[in-house]
Amino acid sequence: MKHADIKETAEALFNEQRNPFGAFTLGSETHHAVTIPDAVRRCRWIAVDMNASAFGLFFVSPSPERARLVPCFDSDYPGIAVATKFISGANGEEIVRHTRLSTEPRWWTDDGVAAMAELFGNLAWTEQMAALVPGTSGIAFPVHADRGQCGLVVFLGSEMTLQQDALYEIHARCFSLFAAVARIRPGDTGRMRAISKRELECLKLTANGNTSEEIARLLKLSVHTANQYLTQSTQKLNAVNRNQAVAKALRLGLIE
Amino acid sequence: MSSPAALLQSDTLGSRLTSRGDLTSFFMQLTAEIGADSYMLVAIVHDQDRNDARIVSSNWIFDAIELIGKRLIAGLAQGALTVAPGIRPHPLVASRAPETDGLITGEEARLLDVLGHAEIYSLRLNVGRQRLFALFSAATAGSIDQPALMRAQLKCCYALSHIPQLIAAAAMQDPLSDRERECLFWVSEGKTTDEVAVILGVSSNTVNSYITHAIQKFAASNRAMAIATAIRSGII
Repeated sequence: MKHADIKETAEALFNEQRNPFGAFTLGSETHHAVTIPDAVRRCRWIAVDMNASAFGLFFVSPSPERARLVPCFDSDYPGIAVATKFISGANGEEIVRHTRLSTEPRWWTDDGVAAMAELFGNLAWTEQMAALVPGTSGIAFPVHADRGQCGLVVFLGSEMTLQQDALYEIHARCFSLFAAVARIRPGDTGRMRAISKRELECLKLTANGNTSEEIARLLKLSVHTANQYLTQSTQKLNAVNRNQAVAKALRLGLIE
Repeated sequence: MSSPAALLQSDTLGSRLTSRGDLTSFFMQLTAEIGADSYMLVAIVHDQDRNDARIVSSNWIFDAIELIGKRLIAGLAQGALTVAPGIRPHPLVASRAPETDGLITGEEARLLDVLGHAEIYSLRLNVGRQRLFALFSAATAGSIDQPALMRAQLKCCYALSHIPQLIAAAAMQDPLSDRERECLFWVSEGKTTDEVAVILGVSSNTVNSYITHAIQKFAASNRAMAIATAIRSGII
């Protein structure tokens, strides 16, 4: 899709829902369940509002060892843009480290367009970094969701417009977009069997450092039953042991 | 940045923060900018089933904090009221509080009102992986400008990103070394000590010692609790 087409389509769709900073529209953009195509559309609205020609949303892999960006979607959805391959390759390592420590946007200019360097240079709270995609200009927004997921929303283009106040608004919208995407991301939830209330209680107590014996005493169960509940919940969570079951339950928000 | 006059005069919005004074000055300006009277920057520390608030920076009067109590502050900072960046915030209006999901009691609401917190907004701040909370309040309900508040939320995230050591020290968060965090991460992925040793290319004794240190730092009783603490505070 060409940039002009994107803009036209997006504007034709409607203006009501797209900007949480507009009057009375916020709840609708943030709370309804989305699918990936919905999320792509929302991201496209954001891109249109800053006149960016391409965008991409990435997850930061949770492993502390490998600093990697995992693409979720980009402006070529359902295809994959060339830019995405650059970003999820070795170019992304520095920005991943940055994303884990800071929420500040980072930008780069490598397309020789002086206006872009000037535009970004005037923005407070942002800094320059090495180009994520050679020969382009762009800006990357670190985002974080409820369960500790990290991500990055990237916009590219040579004719972008971005004022200081708009920077906060765009970033805020990236946050709420990422929160929605993090909820629908296909993961362990889809094929998971329901976990009973009792099993969750046992998991919660385990997370609070209690042993099976203590759980049995607290819940007035036999030790065997407590262990049975924990084994069942571990299996249902598709985990290999209790430690992983506790971690998964917390990350999925099953226990607090 | 030492005298109160300097705090009031400097223009720190948009520039780098380097010291505690900068932080105070930044929050004072931001509070005025959005039409609020008070701010409080809070880190939540998980201790078993309870959450405790650690106040990093605040212009609440000392007595207000003592009277209201850190438990209630932790509740306010983490309750249903709190919104992530990009979500329209809703205030807790003290005069209407008993209807607000049982977050606070009528008596606590009256106390807040008397102490000059007629309306309170609670915002979640993401500073990299760390999570903090900001409470902005005003003595008169309706005086805080919501769109400005939503922008302020991002400004806070940016500003705090510059002073991670200060935040971590004040909040006593993330005391783990990189190695300890890596070990804990792999254990949370269900790996055994021996498997982690292979992954990280060190001996299993070393892995055990990293994990033991992590458990001690969190004052946890076992691995599961250390993992839970780390995930709750967003470290892994």
